[in-house]
Amino acid sequence: MPEVNTSGKMRVIATAEHREGVCRECNKTLVKEFYMDGERRRVRMVCPICGEMGRLIAKTFSVQPPDPPQCLSAKCLYRFFIDTLFCALLSNYHRRRVAYAETNRHEDIPDIYRTGEPSPKTIWQAIVASIRLYIRR
Amino acid sequence: MVQTQTWLDQGIAELILLLREEPATGMESIVCLEMATPCTAAAASTFADPADTAIHHTDSGLELAPIDTVAGDTVNTAGDTILFDHVFTATGTKNVAGIHVCNNDDDVTFIECCFNAVLAVENTDTITIDGQSTIDQA
Repeated sequence: MPEVNTSGKMRVIATAEHREGVCRECNKTLVKEFYMDGERRRVRMVCPICGEMGRLIAKTFSVQPPDPPQCLSAKCLYRFFIDTLFCALLSNYHRRRVAYAETNRHEDIPDIYRTGEPSPKTIWQAIVASIRLYIRR
Repeated sequence: MVQTQTWLDQGIAELILLLREEPATGMESIVCLEMATPCTAAAASTFADPADTAIHHTDSGLELAPIDTVAGDTVNTAGDTILFDHVFTATGTKNVAGIHVCNNDDDVTFIECCFNAVLAVENTDTITIDGQSTIDQA
């Protein structure tokens, strides 16, 4: 089978956490805090009184596209097809989930729709999760 | 619409300028994109012309600002990754469709990201960006 050489990549992963800026417990405006995560200096918003982060409204999810097939065998192409299908279903689920969480920011909805975790790991899980979300809407 | 994120052509051109030791600057600024519906990141977007009909926010705490933290990291090979964190605090009701990660001069966008869905922020809301870009030969 002919081999397909892939070139280098420039991958980007980015997530956004949308939170309320006022602590519900202390009714204080959150303040920016720099902290160390291992050797990495990071930033977050915390309550100056209790140290809690604001209530999460929605967290986006970065779905990475599948790697291109490395050969032209049926097995390689089938794997690529399955990975692509999963990527599409997962992307569709998270798109609907974030929109649902944003629309219902003041409602009491399950945390799974705000955090996106646990995220579906299989095609079947992605289909079931999408149907459940569709029913809720 | 899926969440899309990509390096822009003009960002790569800026990297090449750095390699050639021509006048160029590194990753330093970040700004939110305003659009009522989700956008789609495209390599051909530019600082002056973001994805689809998106525009840069110019006020309400979502405007261009220095990135809070930028750091190096390793994913596959030593030093192949750049990490960035930033918190926006909104001072009004706005739609946020994505972000642009820009250079020091604020005339080149390195990375464009369009979120899964538009974030409808209200006064005092915060948006915490956690970004990572890996350049490797895998």
